[in-house]
Amino acid sequence: MTPVRTLDVSGLPPYNISNRAPTWWGQVLLCAIEGSMFCILIAIYFYLRLGVDFWPPHGARELDPTLSSIALLPLLLSAIGSYWASEAAKKDSRSGMLGGLILNLVLAAVFLALRFANWGRLNYNWASDAHGSVVWTILFLHTFDMVADLLFTIALVIIVAAGSSGPKQRLGVHVDSVVWYFLIGIWLPLYGVLVWGPRLVGGS
Amino acid sequence: MSVLTEWRAPAPEAAEEQNALYRAWADGRGIFSWFSVTTHQAIGKRYIVTAFVFLLLGGIEALLMRFQLARPDNTFLGPARYNQIFTMHGTTMMFLFAVPVMEGMGVYLVPLMLGTRNVAFPRLNAFGYWMYLAGGLLLYGAAFTGTMPSAGWFSYTPLSGPQYSAGKGVDVWAQMITFTEVSAMCVAVELIVTIFKLRAPGMTLNRIPMFCWSMLIQSFMVIFAMPAVMLASTVLLLNDRTIGTHFVNPAEGGDPLLYQHIFWFFGHPEVYIIFIPALGMVSAILEVHSRRGIFGYPAVVLSMVANGFIAFGLWVHHMFATGLPQIAEAYFTAASMMIGITSGVQIFCWIATLWTGRLRLTAAMYFIFGFIFIFVLGGMTGIMLASIPFDLQAHDTFFVVAHFHYVLIGGALFPLFGAFHHWFPKFTGRMINEKLGKATFWVLFVGFNLTFFPMHLLGLKGMTRRVYTYPAELGWGPANLLATIGAVTIAVGGILFIANVLRSLNAGARADSDPWEAGTLEWAADSPPERFNFAHLPVISNRYPLWAPREQQGIVVGMRNDRREVLVTSSMDAEPHHRLVLPRSSIWPFLTALGFAIGLVGSVFAFSWYFVSAALGMIGLIGWFWPHRPVEIRP
Repeated sequence: MTPVRTLDVSGLPPYNISNRAPTWWGQVLLCAIEGSMFCILIAIYFYLRLGVDFWPPHGARELDPTLSSIALLPLLLSAIGSYWASEAAKKDSRSGMLGGLILNLVLAAVFLALRFANWGRLNYNWASDAHGSVVWTILFLHTFDMVADLLFTIALVIIVAAGSSGPKQRLGVHVDSVVWYFLIGIWLPLYGVLVWGPRLVGGS
Repeated sequence: MSVLTEWRAPAPEAAEEQNALYRAWADGRGIFSWFSVTTHQAIGKRYIVTAFVFLLLGGIEALLMRFQLARPDNTFLGPARYNQIFTMHGTTMMFLFAVPVMEGMGVYLVPLMLGTRNVAFPRLNAFGYWMYLAGGLLLYGAAFTGTMPSAGWFSYTPLSGPQYSAGKGVDVWAQMITFTEVSAMCVAVELIVTIFKLRAPGMTLNRIPMFCWSMLIQSFMVIFAMPAVMLASTVLLLNDRTIGTHFVNPAEGGDPLLYQHIFWFFGHPEVYIIFIPALGMVSAILEVHSRRGIFGYPAVVLSMVANGFIAFGLWVHHMFATGLPQIAEAYFTAASMMIGITSGVQIFCWIATLWTGRLRLTAAMYFIFGFIFIFVLGGMTGIMLASIPFDLQAHDTFFVVAHFHYVLIGGALFPLFGAFHHWFPKFTGRMINEKLGKATFWVLFVGFNLTFFPMHLLGLKGMTRRVYTYPAELGWGPANLLATIGAVTIAVGGILFIANVLRSLNAGARADSDPWEAGTLEWAADSPPERFNFAHLPVISNRYPLWAPREQQGIVVGMRNDRREVLVTSSMDAEPHHRLVLPRSSIWPFLTALGFAIGLVGSVFAFSWYFVSAALGMIGLIGWFWPHRPVEIRP
């Protein structure tokens, strides 16, 4: 056989748990998809605002600013749980992953409890008028994403607790943190729009 | 590049090693395995074949319309049926043919061109295909049981709203969008990651093949554009219809124009999502058959990138007749004309490539020449329509129909046919008959111009779109008859094409790995490629590795052959970083798609089915990700 130039890669690791793993890239792109959707929803919110005189309509009870702002605290803190779990995943520390994921779950549950209490205040629903439609849609979709991610986090906790945390599962823990950061990050502008938007551009 | 490549004679590959590679990439036999396939060649082929079936259906619908319009006061199709047929035609061609076929070409060709063995997420790829198929089956399943949408391929409100479109046709349409867009987004994500992370060592950014660049740009466009149409179709339209939201209901503070904005924020980029892969195909084919690299590689790549950006600033030019503020209209006119500049750059680069190359006039090249001719004409009418005073006159007339068929058929279908003739040997291992291919081209070219050129004139004479008939006194009869004759000619071209494919599949000359003496890596793999594409992954140091001298070519050694391993490289310089073990075939993508599909079809009837969709989908995903023992990955 004639000689050819060769590049020996047998020394390279057979997996990688970091932001250079393809799965991490894939997860970031899925977040970009979801993010563009929320950006368009914000555009829809303000477009609909332009079409009416009063926003929200008279008598509509909006999300409570105090409760909404207090709820940010457990939400932001829950990122620490995600970060802890993802760092533990890189170091293959089972206890760290479990601790981080459970902290994430507990704080997220507190946030969601506050959200549902706040949501219950609204005296209109999606079918009341266009304002109700867009507010409910934003709340619904963001909550839906959060609940879906938390269910996957619970699945990860079960997998890790059962001792099946191989490299693929640990990479799963790592990219799960990306989703959670995204859901926190996208909530901040959505919170700004839903809670403070009516006060800034509501009209008298 | 810091990649160390040493000269050595590789030990004669033990037969056992080769067999291990075959075993690792083999799919089982039987129907269960058929649903579990995750190799990109198989999924890519399924996309392409399915899309061509929908092309055939969309083509038949076009013929039905042309028969109806062939003479004045015709009664072949009634008004209601005609509305259904043009809706099905547009929907099929845009959502079930044009985008998926480009995705399929990308899925098939990109890993080969990059010198890797599969896409980065093989199971996501399979899932995407099943979602696409489910969407197509939903639309046509409903159609054949008597439920057809009839509010146009964009289903404008209020026509598509609950008051004016009773029945389930529009709801089916809206949910079909969800399926096809999910599929397109899966392909977009996996292709972006494949292109950034799985390139052959040494394939720096400025060595990426043109077609891969085009798929990269297209995929980013999908990621930012497709969420808009899912919002438009499911949130604005379907929820207004099924659970009484008021997004597009002016009586409750909604606005029908909002739907148009969101739809066209997707809809305009959509045209480029179809068209940019075609540009990549044109560049790739021109290179091979001009026997030189593309003239102005950076200019062509940058103008494709610019096209991708500008495409997001054009959507309002579909809405000039809706009474928007003049300042907005002026902006969108300028943007619409601007895209003529970047497209012009590419056309001049192609001309320079042709001018300085040594041409080989294959059937594929005929289609490329046809593309340049037709597309330039379509571009000209596009510039005309970008001008608002003209657009207000021509809006919703056959002039617009002529324009977008010139850009879409000329801009996407001709390059696609060229690509099909060009890569046929790679897909099938046999050459496609060149004479028949050229005959197909001429029949299609003549038929196309015969069909659509008269439509410019009909539009200028005032014939509006979507009318099911017209009185004889208007004098539109002869031009319409000509267009119908053209449509029949196109059908003959289609039959010639199918005949050529079938004949060449069975009796075409055997193709070796590189019948065109091309430069890019897909031609280094066997024709058709093995499931693992390359027994040894290539190492490259040149934009056209197969044209490079032997001392600049190399191979990767040290990969494990007994599992599905690929090499992950850095995103910019393609330096090897780690090995990645891809999953084996799996039934879960199919089951997950099935779960989502059951729920989404149900959601046509009631919102609560979304929860069924979510629950079934989640069960599918957890099954998909459930760890296989042993969980450790040994080096």
